Amino acid sequence: MSPEIILLVMLITFAVSVFALRLPSGVSLMLAAILGSFAGGHFFPVRHLAEGAFGFLEAIMIIASAMIFMKVVNASGALGTISYGIIKMFYRSPLVLMIVLCLFVMFPGMLTGLSSACILTTGALIIPALLAMGIEKKAAGSFIAIAAVLGEIAPPISIPVMIIGGGVDMPYIGFNGPLLVASMPAALLTSVYFRYRYLGQFDINEVLNKLDKPVYAEYRIKLFIPVIFILVWLTGEQVFTQYFPHLGVPLIFIIGALLGFGTGRKFNILKLAEEAIKDALPVMSILVGVGMFLQILTLTGVRGDLAVKALYMPEEVKYLAALVMPFFGSAYAAASVIGVPLVFVFLGKNSIVVVSALALLAAMGDMMPPPSLLCAYAGQMVKESNHFRILKKSLPLLILIGIFGLLMIYFANDINSFLKIIG
Amino acid sequence: MMTKNSKLNIIVFFLLIVFTAISAVSFLDMRAPDKIYPSRGVTEIRKLSQYNPNLKDGPADTDIYYFRGSGDGGSMLVLGGTHPNEPSGFIAALILTENIIPLNGDVYIIPQTCLSGFSCTDPMEAQPMKFSFKDSNEARSFRFGSRVSNPLHQWPDPLVYSHYPSGQKLSGFETRNLNRAYPGKAEGNITEMTAFAIVQLIKSENINVAIDLHEAAPEIPIINALVYHEKGEDIALNAVFNLEFEGLKYSPERSPVNFHGLSHREWGDNTNAYAFLMETCNPIQGRLRGITNESLIIEGNSDTYFSAKQSGALRLEYLDEGVPLKLRVGRHIVGINSIIDVYNENNPDESIIISGFPSFEDIIEKGLNFYLLKGEKNEK
Repeated sequence: MSPEIILLVMLITFAVSVFALRLPSGVSLMLAAILGSFAGGHFFPVRHLAEGAFGFLEAIMIIASAMIFMKVVNASGALGTISYGIIKMFYRSPLVLMIVLCLFVMFPGMLTGLSSACILTTGALIIPALLAMGIEKKAAGSFIAIAAVLGEIAPPISIPVMIIGGGVDMPYIGFNGPLLVASMPAALLTSVYFRYRYLGQFDINEVLNKLDKPVYAEYRIKLFIPVIFILVWLTGEQVFTQYFPHLGVPLIFIIGALLGFGTGRKFNILKLAEEAIKDALPVMSILVGVGMFLQILTLTGVRGDLAVKALYMPEEVKYLAALVMPFFGSAYAAASVIGVPLVFVFLGKNSIVVVSALALLAAMGDMMPPPSLLCAYAGQMVKESNHFRILKKSLPLLILIGIFGLLMIYFANDINSFLKIIG
Repeated sequence: MMTKNSKLNIIVFFLLIVFTAISAVSFLDMRAPDKIYPSRGVTEIRKLSQYNPNLKDGPADTDIYYFRGSGDGGSMLVLGGTHPNEPSGFIAALILTENIIPLNGDVYIIPQTCLSGFSCTDPMEAQPMKFSFKDSNEARSFRFGSRVSNPLHQWPDPLVYSHYPSGQKLSGFETRNLNRAYPGKAEGNITEMTAFAIVQLIKSENINVAIDLHEAAPEIPIINALVYHEKGEDIALNAVFNLEFEGLKYSPERSPVNFHGLSHREWGDNTNAYAFLMETCNPIQGRLRGITNESLIIEGNSDTYFSAKQSGALRLEYLDEGVPLKLRVGRHIVGINSIIDVYNENNPDESIIISGFPSFEDIIEKGLNFYLLKGEKNEK
């Protein structure tokens, strides 16, 4: 069968499975992969399905361990205390408060290059505060998801840039300026948008009453030992490689969780771990399904066919080819599959700025279907059962950020000159 | 009494066991070594751990084939399989191992340099685990591995790879990429230890010419290139010039000074060898490839690359009729020959004279089966 028909079979299977049969997204993706391989003449390729299922193994382990960590800091009282502190410190200026919250969510992504690290750590920390201030739950989820996307590409560490750079033999040098251009105006825009669109008047005492009571007075600085450990170790591994042995992100989160013992309120770690894995299971199964789905797309030639179709866009609209990136549904997949050829499509423009802009567009993929990973996380945190509603809420901003990314490519040489002038 | 749910759970569990067992058999098959039948010119086969004992008996302890010529001369190292998903490098090194006889000087060949990477494939790339050559009488299969070391041998990857000793940052995946690990570390991870051993080999055997054989996706600009360290510029440019006379185009590329970890950069900087790297065009590595199967490895024919080239959106070295493996292997072998010829002209007292070197025309006309399928090889 032609690639178009195979893709159609896979998409229809996914849609029927999710919407008609009401099966979980992860299972639906697996079914789509299996029927896609049948359509491609591969019947039931056990090896390919198993290999694809392991494609996101590291991400799955990070999610599982980070969820356990978040449950621990929540149970110890650290999470509530941080939310309480941020609100109390910045409530007088709501716009400044939203900017601080946005940068706060982005922070772990700047250090790790992982959007999931943002949403699972600092994103989860501020959700109670956003809800208490009266921001509706879908908008709160949308805010942390978009901030996580921006954290993923903000300097000093941007993995999508490294993936694209690796494909074109471009060392990770000189990206700080262009990545600041790609991330910070969008972060400011996000803060302003949510401030004026969703944050109304609020009574600070009412908000503080709705939040968990801070326990800082009782446990003092030791309350934050797990959070400090995570931030210090993740930073240390990137910046001071010679002093910080590489443990791997999952192990860092597990150590962080174990450090939570005795730092705050008491908790039962086994019970929390069970709850965490139960919460994370739908997201982890989506990743297993996405891995299978992508493996079959590649095996059957659909992946290459999609990438080549993007190249066929007319000269005057070739920038639209870059807009295909978010629709890969994963920053890393978009960066590796189409990010590399797109660098060559835009030869003649400053490559470092172009790659930074492409990374911004690729990172938006983490919010998009089929996995909608960030929306799925955010949905769990704000108790929104249909995470596509969070995506819908985010669309106006995502469109603006997408346009901003395209403008960055168009004006790549001017941006580079400007960055040189300001040093 | 069993509920409907518990019956379903048991069925799913049973199916999972069957699924796991079937996939385990195919994954375990990747651990079986490929057969190599050395030519009578091979004087010794040693392990790479000879140059870094930390690799001893481990999954990266690959074979080095030593060819000591009867006369004095210079020495050459050829690496294939630095990236096990780039088969022309591996097959070119293998054909040399099975055919050449040095007369003057010494030759060292490592056909499967990143041995660890030959034991797995890259998830979500859907590439075949093996590729075969066959005729009516016999067949011979080789593993098509991963670009990088097996994660079972080196895991987890850091989020960001910091190259030793420069501190250059690359994505975490590159931690397992041998051609980003030079000059390596004696007690580093398995990839760094392999890189260290190769640099030690070059130093302790006083290698004069070191050549690393690679492939790249058709959209990468350094396709069909001869990359050289500046020390070997004269040799590289003359070799490319001579190849032009034979009707073969190679683009000479100077090794970037500020990109660390690459073989041509670090061998040239850290040893006395003239360092070179050659690239051919490998469609199965490319992001624009269509159906991913064994034929794409051997025939190198991809509708999607043809279509991408027609679009004019990219500069592609892809040939309209495809880029078959025999063409890519032929380019590597004739490229090595040309480098040696120029080296010999410049260093007549330390020349490397080799017999049994297949010609480009022979490889194209007779095909790879002629070199890889010979009844007598199976009897050895």
